[in-house]
Amino acid sequence: MSPGQRRTLEFVLDNLVWFILVIVLAIFSAFVPNYFQPQIFINIIEQSTVLGVMSIGLAIVIIAGHMDLSVESVAALSAMVTGILFASAGIGQDLPLSPAWLKVPVSIIAGLAVGGLIGWLNGILVVKVKLDAFIVTLAAFIWVRGTVVALSGGRSAQSLAPEIRWFAIQRVFGLPLSAYIAILCFVVFSVMMMKTRFGRHLKLIGGNETAAFRAGIKVNRVLVTAFIMSGMIAALAGWLLAIRTSGATANLGIGMLFQAFAAVVIGGVSLKGGIGGVPGVYAGVLLLSSINTAINLLHLPAEYTQVIQGLLVLAAVLLDTMKHSIRKRLA
Amino acid sequence: MTETLLELDDIRMNFGAVQALKGISFTVKRGEVIALLGDNGAGKSTLVKIISGGLTQTSGRMTFDGEPYAPRSPSEAKAQGIETVYQDLSLCTNVDVVANFFMGRELTRNFLGLKLLDERAMEEHTARAMREAGTRIPSLRTNVEHLSGGQRQAIELNRFVHWGGKLVLLDEPFAALGVEQTRRGLEMIRRVAAQGIGVIIITHIMQQALEVADRIVVIRQGVVAGDVRARETSADSVIAMITGQSAAEAGQAVDA
Repeated sequence: MSPGQRRTLEFVLDNLVWFILVIVLAIFSAFVPNYFQPQIFINIIEQSTVLGVMSIGLAIVIIAGHMDLSVESVAALSAMVTGILFASAGIGQDLPLSPAWLKVPVSIIAGLAVGGLIGWLNGILVVKVKLDAFIVTLAAFIWVRGTVVALSGGRSAQSLAPEIRWFAIQRVFGLPLSAYIAILCFVVFSVMMMKTRFGRHLKLIGGNETAAFRAGIKVNRVLVTAFIMSGMIAALAGWLLAIRTSGATANLGIGMLFQAFAAVVIGGVSLKGGIGGVPGVYAGVLLLSSINTAINLLHLPAEYTQVIQGLLVLAAVLLDTMKHSIRKRLA
Repeated sequence: MTETLLELDDIRMNFGAVQALKGISFTVKRGEVIALLGDNGAGKSTLVKIISGGLTQTSGRMTFDGEPYAPRSPSEAKAQGIETVYQDLSLCTNVDVVANFFMGRELTRNFLGLKLLDERAMEEHTARAMREAGTRIPSLRTNVEHLSGGQRQAIELNRFVHWGGKLVLLDEPFAALGVEQTRRGLEMIRRVAAQGIGVIIITHIMQQALEVADRIVVIRQGVVAGDVRARETSADSVIAMITGQSAAEAGQAVDA
């Protein structure tokens, strides 16, 4: 194989998800009635908001060679904290603040603090106590959800303060502000992963933790920071989820973990660690939203969504393995 | 140059009930190449890990460059000028040559107050270092997974030559190399030593040790079984020290 062909093949492998996204959108546009119109594409981006943000944190931890299954529950807890503080119906306490816009930063900070704390705990248990990240974060997935149920008594908070809701209602070029927050997150974390020492170190640790340690990288500190980041990003996703649903229920966001997982893997992040980037994850999320939209437009029963998403996760992992063996043959 | 660079004083290491090192003492001078020999399990790699900051000894003291030396991590050892090349390569195969060359030492430039990686400068430095060492790698932007064993080894060796420091530890650096590359590697070691850098090289190959080293230190069952000048000994007497036969005819001992 000539170097040029090889470079082309590697480029395609690295950016496979974008090609799949374009092809899938083209097929849907051609065959699904009413698919090809601006409003549909705006909807796809809008629907990608919460899942997209959540997937970023998961991707960062997986690229560093670990796992964070707690993101869904952390998002739910952050949403519940926001709901309890600033919703006015149900279990919402409608905390008065003046000026009222203070509710925005206070709710974000409260959520991020909770998420960061859980991420820190996960990180310490993985790095210092040397427990397996899969088990540690699976436990967090369960106990954090339990905390949400306990905190709410199984009831819900409704009618979130309009100052916070504003981010879901105010639109610029057809998209709500919350969607721009998600896009901004993708830009910021893409730059972080590709262009900063911290991002480079995460990738090196995911590739060969021992080598990174020997090269003088403070592996433990970097990993704990990654878990804290993942927790805080999940909390931001939860905040966005609360403002989209104008409150929080005890079972809010259930099932999102596997969608995020699918998006990350479809997006080209290898479960083996060290491979993939944040932009691909966004493509993965957009791909999932596009498929959901197609299912809606075809009026398929909602149950099929889950079947298709399960198959997608499987397909993504198979794709990951296939890419791995193609790369091996390239070497 | 006779100045002492590293002094080991009665280094002991226990792993639970197992005594891996039972009181190791020797010195390394500036510009001196020490070959550390010993049978499998003699404790060579443990000793290298202690010097490079990967392990902390149970007891005993080290002096480096005139100061008490007690690294708590490889990064502390590096900060004081001790570089290590391990037998299982310390490369990240998922990133390119440049990223490996600058692992843990990435250059950054200021961009609107943000410190972003300066890829161009890093690539230039890497290219120059590779050129000076006579290593040819098709593209510095290829991921290391696509490179051969020899090319990978060359990156590691060039990395330690480039970053230099004061003392270099090499744990079986030529295990994966061909004849020609090994010869070049040995030359590189002499060149490094000529700059006044101390070198400790672990090897199993007697010929390499006799060829490149100034002194040969043999470790057997956790103690120093011999410390001789390479010029004044022979392969047979060193093997006798390694296997524990009489050291009487093993050449003149060096005063520690």
